[in-house]
Amino acid sequence: MFGLKFLAIMRRDLKKLSRNPITLVSVILMPIVYLVIIGNSFQGQLKHLPIVVVEQDHGLYARRIVEQLLALQAGPKTVDVTFENDPGSAVDEVRDGLYKGVVVIPPDFSHDVAEGRIAQIGLFTDNVDSISSQTLEGVLDQAAATVRVAFVTAREPKLNDISLRPGWLFPYVDYDRSLIPGVIVMAIFMGSLMSGVFNWVMDKFMGVTECYLVTPLSRWDIAGGILASGVTVTSIGGILVLFLGLMITRGKILGGPMALLMLIGIIVISSAGLLAMTFSMLGRAGHPRLVGTFSGFLNVILFFPSGAIYPVESFPPWLRAFAHFNPETHSVSAIKQILFKGADFSAVSGDIAFLLIFMVLMLILASVSFKRTL
Amino acid sequence: MEPDSPAIQTKDLTKRFGAFTAVDQVNFEVRRGEVFGLLGPNGAGKTTIVRMLTTLIVPSGGHAFVAGFDVARYPRQVRENIGVIPQALTSDLDLTGWENVDIYGEFFGLSRRERRERGHRLLHMVGLTERANDLVATYSGGMRRRLEIARGLIHSPDVLFLDEPTIGLDPQSRRAVWDLLETLRKESEITISLTTHYMDEAESLCDRIAIVDGGKIIALDTPVGLKSMVPGADRIDLVVEKNPTAIAEMLKPMPYLREVNLDGGNRLQLSSNDGARAIPKILEAIDAAGDHVTSITVQKLSLEDVFIHFTGRTLRDEPAKKVSLFVGAGMPQQR
Repeated sequence: MFGLKFLAIMRRDLKKLSRNPITLVSVILMPIVYLVIIGNSFQGQLKHLPIVVVEQDHGLYARRIVEQLLALQAGPKTVDVTFENDPGSAVDEVRDGLYKGVVVIPPDFSHDVAEGRIAQIGLFTDNVDSISSQTLEGVLDQAAATVRVAFVTAREPKLNDISLRPGWLFPYVDYDRSLIPGVIVMAIFMGSLMSGVFNWVMDKFMGVTECYLVTPLSRWDIAGGILASGVTVTSIGGILVLFLGLMITRGKILGGPMALLMLIGIIVISSAGLLAMTFSMLGRAGHPRLVGTFSGFLNVILFFPSGAIYPVESFPPWLRAFAHFNPETHSVSAIKQILFKGADFSAVSGDIAFLLIFMVLMLILASVSFKRTL
Repeated sequence: MEPDSPAIQTKDLTKRFGAFTAVDQVNFEVRRGEVFGLLGPNGAGKTTIVRMLTTLIVPSGGHAFVAGFDVARYPRQVRENIGVIPQALTSDLDLTGWENVDIYGEFFGLSRRERRERGHRLLHMVGLTERANDLVATYSGGMRRRLEIARGLIHSPDVLFLDEPTIGLDPQSRRAVWDLLETLRKESEITISLTTHYMDEAESLCDRIAIVDGGKIIALDTPVGLKSMVPGADRIDLVVEKNPTAIAEMLKPMPYLREVNLDGGNRLQLSSNDGARAIPKILEAIDAAGDHVTSITVQKLSLEDVFIHFTGRTLRDEPAKKVSLFVGAGMPQQR
């Protein structure tokens, strides 16, 4: 029977954690330090960035730009090019996350080039993903450069003035700030591990568990108490990291109090899901050393493919497929959209639905795998 | 629990781990208010018996009843009526002594008032009132053990299980725990099941003792009863003045004596079922033979001797520990 006795377990765990502030501090500080170091040292070439080209000119130089983009698609596979006619709907598709950017070649582009006037190509990117955005700017610069080299005219100096006019759909997000969702998710992972399964296995190893397995506490009381205290501590850690991250990067939450509530909700759901997952995987371990070993492994396979540091689009197909089923991908995605784009509930409903289903499945799995006896 | 029903009863209680039988068809009863000892070396199976009785592991066969409830069918009711002091020190280091007791009482559904009243009384009983608000991390091993006894009694259980309660404690702390158990025994009607491999502990605290070895109970009686099961329970060493060989031959057919051996020089070694009755007869016979006894000592049989008699080995013999790969090297599998 599930009664209120779980509150005793929760009270006990919260008291213990409050007397070990180093646990909470490490849950908050370590992900930030870790991410800043890893994030800044992470190098790699982006591939398969989905872009839309709206070619309104159909002139000689416009065709040359398009050919260059198609060459980048066929060769280094930096971009996946789709053509559309309506620049407005193309921009909306970027807003919806279908593409990373829109390249608009205006009607008089070739004429302006031929006449030696300043010719412009429009590039509208999802600048929240700063790495993709910067890569696309580089791609377009490269394409424009070939036009400069190939077509030398009497008015050559003007050709060097072909310029890119970036158009940002969202407020500027610098690199440090773009790491905040990842930092939060890492804090959630570490918090759920430290306050949940690690505590449980440590207690089991020390023999403490034995003393409450011989009490009338039901398995639901024990599991519910551990879950409640773990989610409380982890969520507080995640929320503190959110505010600390914003403070450090001088950012703010777009969307006001409603967005904050949604962020807290996502942090709580993610905490419960990850806590139940780690509990069902490691709850039967007899030594905390095993939890430490597996947690490092789990962190790598969940965190790096989550899009927290590098866009999911850069992954090979098998890793992209894995990323779609990775709860941290959906946590990062939802937090990123709410925090930086001011997205409403409908925009993140898919991610939230996934996280809710994942949480329920993991809670069922954890309760099945939880053993009431030694 | 019915007034005349046993506090603990087992019927062919068995526990198997794979092909290995740790507890093999064990039968015993513990009367209400009794202090019952399970005595045996590490690996004998006594901890496994206690773990089945306290619902920590499920029996593979047979039945066990604690406080009138079948441990397999009604584990919750069993847990409501027992207090358990496990072998390892299990009090939370990050909580104070009072918090350990208080939160444990909450596990049993006690109200705040009940917890406060009983908790303070028990902490006073175990001599920890002054340190109640200190973190357990600052306690000594003996203090932790006393705290755990208080914690195990917070819900006034019918049966208290103590698994090696004084293991690893210094002599002073051991004595304090013994005094505590003596007090409990005198002042309440609680039934105590004590698992130990200390002979003196079993002998001084227990009303009856079951000797466990190889997963079986090989002898069960009061300490005095167990000793009387061993032939030649008392050993008499004596030294005669003149002719030990002749005296030995003379003593051999005497009643109460089981063995008479020469032990070098003028020394004789005798074994007797009742040394107290045998000695006057021996002295009388030696005087009558014209010899004199220059020294005589009587050594009473100890439980250690009883144990050796029944098992053929000492209590300190420990089998190699089994270690599970998943559990890790730091967590020996106890039987």
